Amino acid sequence: MTKWQIYKNGVLKENPTFRLVLGMCSTLAITTAVVNGIGMGLALTLVLTGSNVIISLLRNVVPKEIRIPAYVVVIATFTTIVDKVMAALTPGLHQVLGIFIPLIVVNCIVLARAEAFASKHGVLESTIDGLGMGTGYTLALLLVAVIREILGTGALLKAKDFGFSGFRIFPEEMGVKLLILPPGAFLTLGMLLAGMNWLVAKRGAKKHD
Amino acid sequence: MAKEWRLIIVLTVIALVSGAILGLVNVWTEPVIKEQEALAKQKSLQQALPEAAEFRAETALLEELPPDETTGITELYRGFRAEQPVGFVFILNQRGYASGIQMAVGVTQEGKLAGINIISQGETPGLGARVTDEEFLNQQAFREATVKRQLAVTKDQGKVEAITNATVSSRAVVRGVNAALAAARSLLAAEKEMGGALQ
Repeated sequence: MTKWQIYKNGVLKENPTFRLVLGMCSTLAITTAVVNGIGMGLALTLVLTGSNVIISLLRNVVPKEIRIPAYVVVIATFTTIVDKVMAALTPGLHQVLGIFIPLIVVNCIVLARAEAFASKHGVLESTIDGLGMGTGYTLALLLVAVIREILGTGALLKAKDFGFSGFRIFPEEMGVKLLILPPGAFLTLGMLLAGMNWLVAKRGAKKHD
Repeated sequence: MAKEWRLIIVLTVIALVSGAILGLVNVWTEPVIKEQEALAKQKSLQQALPEAAEFRAETALLEELPPDETTGITELYRGFRAEQPVGFVFILNQRGYASGIQMAVGVTQEGKLAGINIISQGETPGLGARVTDEEFLNQQAFREATVKRQLAVTKDQGKVEAITNATVSSRAVVRGVNAALAAARSLLAAEKEMGGALQ
C-alpha cells in the first residue's frame, strides 16, 4: 500500500465509525453540536497518532505476552496528556466533552489500530494510519453532528464557550428536539450507516458488471 | 527464567517512563488549570453581584446557615465596594433533570436579587442546558425578586417563565434562587438586629 492509500483507507474504506462501527459510545453521546464533534475528533486523532507512533517504535521491544498491557499504558499516557492540556487551554470544551475524553483509553479504535496496524508496521506508516483513522472518525462525527445540530436546534456551529452564537438557519422553535436527545443519535447514525452500506453495495455491484 | 524477567523489566520501564512524562505534563498544566478555575469563579461571583469590587469568603457565617443538604449552599461570599459590604453571593448545587446544576446567586444588602450565574451543568443540550441563556436568567420575575417572597415557575402558579420543555431544569434554578433568598433573608435580619454587618 502506498502512503496515500493508507490514509484513504482510514477515511473511506475502513472508516472507523461507518465501516468498522467502532467507538460508537462517544459518537452517539457528543454529536449534539458540531463544536463537540471537532473537539472530540481532534482529541482522538492526537491520542491515536501518538500511541501509534510509540507502539510502532516499541514493536520489536515488547514481548507479545505483555503487548496489551503495554499498549494500554501508552494509550492511557497520551489520553491523560490530552485531557490535562485540554483542561488547561479549553476549559469550556473540556467540561462539555467531560467523561468522554478520559474514556478514549478504552476507545476500541485506538486499541484496534495498535493491535492491527501499528504493531506490524513502521513508524511512518503508523503515523499516517493514525492520521487517516483520526480524520475518518472526525469527519463521521461532523456528519452526524451537522445533521443533529441543524435539524434539532435550527443553528449551526453554536459555541457558547468561545463566545460564538452560531449561524441561525431557521427559528429554534421549529427544530426537531428529538434529534438532540439520545434517540436522535441512534436514528441519525442508523440512517447514515444504511446510506453508506447502500452506496458501498451499489459501487460493488457496478464493479462486477 | 530469563523470559519472565524480560517481561517484568519491559513493562516496568514502560510504566516508569509514562509516569515520568505524566508528572512533567502535570507540573505544567496544574497551575494553568488552577488559574482558569480561579478566574472562572471570580467571573461567576462578579456576574452574580455586579456591584461588588471585591469578594471575601465568609466561612464563619456559612456555618450559621441551615445545613447544606436542605439548601444546597456550599460556599458564601460577601461582596465589598470601597470597604462597604454591598451583598452576598451564595454558591449552591441543585439537582436538575440530567445533572447537578451549580450556580452563584447574588443578593444585595437591600435584599434584592442581584444576579444568577450558572457555574456548571450537564443538562440536555438545547433543552435544559438553556438555563444558562440570558433570556431565562434575566427575565422580569428574577429582576424584581426580593428576599420577601419566594419564587415559582408559572406552572406552579409563580411568575418565572420556565424554559419550554425544560420545566424540571427551570425549577432547579428557581429552587436555588429561593434557597439563596431565604438564607440572605435570615442573614440580613440578624445583621439588622445586631445593628451592623456580622463578622
